[in-house]
Amino acid sequence: MDKMLLGRYINGESLIHHLDPRGKLFLSFYFIVIVFLCNNWETYVLMAAMVMLFVKLSDISLGFFIKGVRPLIWLILFTVLLQIFFSSGGQVFWHFGPFTITDQGLINGVFVFCRFVLIIFMSTLLTLTTTPIEISDGLESLLKPLTKIKVPVYEIALMLSIALRFVPTLMDETTKIMNAQRARGVNFGEGNLLKQIKSVIPLLIPLFVSSFNRAEDLATAMEARGYHGGEGRTKYREQEWRKNDTLAVILFIALTGALIFLRN
Amino acid sequence: MVKSIHIEKLNYVYQSGTPFSRRALTDVSLDIKTGSYTAIIGHTGSGKSTLLQHLNGLLKPTSGSLTVAGNHITSETKNKELNELRHHVGFVFQFPEAQLFEETVLKDIAFAPKNFGKSDEEAEQVAAKMATLVGLPDSVLDSSPFELSGGQMRRVAIAGVLAMEPQILVLDEPTAGLDPKGRLEMMEMFEQLHQEQHLTIILVTHQMNDVANYADHVVVMENGGLIANSTPERVFSDPDWLHKHHLGLPQTTAFAAKLAKQGVPFETLPLTEKQLAEKLAELMPQSGGELHG
Ligand SMILES: Nc1ncnc2c1ncn2[C@@H]1O[C@H](COP(=O)(O)OP(=O)(O)OP(=O)(O)O)[C@@H](O)[C@H]1O
Ligand SMILES: [Mg+2]
Repeated sequence: MDKMLLGRYINGESLIHHLDPRGKLFLSFYFIVIVFLCNNWETYVLMAAMVMLFVKLSDISLGFFIKGVRPLIWLILFTVLLQIFFSSGGQVFWHFGPFTITDQGLINGVFVFCRFVLIIFMSTLLTLTTTPIEISDGLESLLKPLTKIKVPVYEIALMLSIALRFVPTLMDETTKIMNAQRARGVNFGEGNLLKQIKSVIPLLIPLFVSSFNRAEDLATAMEARGYHGGEGRTKYREQEWRKNDTLAVILFIALTGALIFLRN
Repeated sequence: MVKSIHIEKLNYVYQSGTPFSRRALTDVSLDIKTGSYTAIIGHTGSGKSTLLQHLNGLLKPTSGSLTVAGNHITSETKNKELNELRHHVGFVFQFPEAQLFEETVLKDIAFAPKNFGKSDEEAEQVAAKMATLVGLPDSVLDSSPFELSGGQMRRVAIAGVLAMEPQILVLDEPTAGLDPKGRLEMMEMFEQLHQEQHLTIILVTHQMNDVANYADHVVVMENGGLIANSTPERVFSDPDWLHKHHLGLPQTTAFAAKLAKQGVPFETLPLTEKQLAEKLAELMPQSGGELHG
């Protein structure tokens, strides 16, 4: 449980940390879209250079980003192999039944790999430099126009921020209760299937009880302070669009231009 | 005396090997004798709970080793070997009522003994005995633990640990969040177990009064290391040192220290009300004479 790295915020004071979360969210999605513009070496090198620049600017060591790739490595390799074995075109190196390896296929494999890594690095950058609360606030403002067509954006954002807020609490609680039951002789993850299922009960019941208690406390606290939904509510954490955010957008526009120019 | 616990050069790093790694214990060496009552004190985050969790194998040392009730534990110890150890070490966590889950109070108390191989019948016998010991009325034994008051839930949880009939009882702030009367009753109960059944007790607490009243040994922790390992008399005899390490004095000792500043001649600062009263009674005739003279 302690090993979870994906999506953990790392406190920092870098340029990237201080960007407006709305801009960061939007540009991260936008980045994923324009990665699909890449179709030759020049474009991939350009995108890789940009990502390295952002990593550098975030003051977070490269190790964190590489760790973000690890959990997905099998999915990536699987996709890459599909590309390599089933692409056609170009010079054929090897052929067996439905499988063919061509130089085009190899190049495509490498490109797919790069695409995955670029996207993972960029989303890791977002979650490492933006707190979960900022992300859900940012999402709320980006989705605000949807309230016009009766999408319950405020409620969704509230649910999201509460859920995100309580993930670490719940993980702590799980560890604590597991420890307490271990001390009382429960062996989690040992013995036959029936035994294992039985051992989950002393963990789940206390977790449910404490989650319900917590939810009730939270609801009481929110009502006591007069919470009544999104419309007209002001925020404690103001989001502020600064010069750097505009610069970031301009950079991405320029990047898109360059990609269109370089791709074939 | 027999050593119940022997800890040697224990080091522990949380999430070791990740970028979030965090050192929590540094070269801790400590011996605890069978039948002793040891208090561990120290500022928040000094590593007390981390140290305790090694005592029944919930955490394994990053390096170094410890021997508890004849079980040797190093970083290589297999999880399977820990069950035997856990049988002998009762562990009361901070806010232990979070561990309750059974349908009835009696069943919850009987949970641990059943896990450690007692028959249902035997386990419920022990459970009933422990319920009485912690002061639960018979009438609650068949109700759901979730219908009880917070203080009663705490008692159920503690009875559930005692029902394992451990040799060593580890207590991590067992009285946090209780009212003063409940706190006193709880501490008296542990003292009784210590006296009558010669349980080895290890208590983590922020209550210096409890240290003064019950412990025969004190271990002071700071930043993951031990900075003192001595008796309450010795540790509390130096208010300045304690203050420097952000620790307080027991009420009685603090009061006596004030008297000492006013010129009352104590050889050593008394720890308990009884000691203070005796000391003052001894000094009374002279000072009383002066006062009235
Ligand atoms: N699960 C964990 N993951 C990472 N670090 C942890 C974890 N648990 C504790 N720590 C860190 O280890 C150090 C020691 O914590 P520990 O809980 O042992 O302190 P403590 O002396 O029991 O404090 P308190 O008096 O507040 O209970 C702290 O710096 C804490 O932040
Ligand atoms: Mg603690």
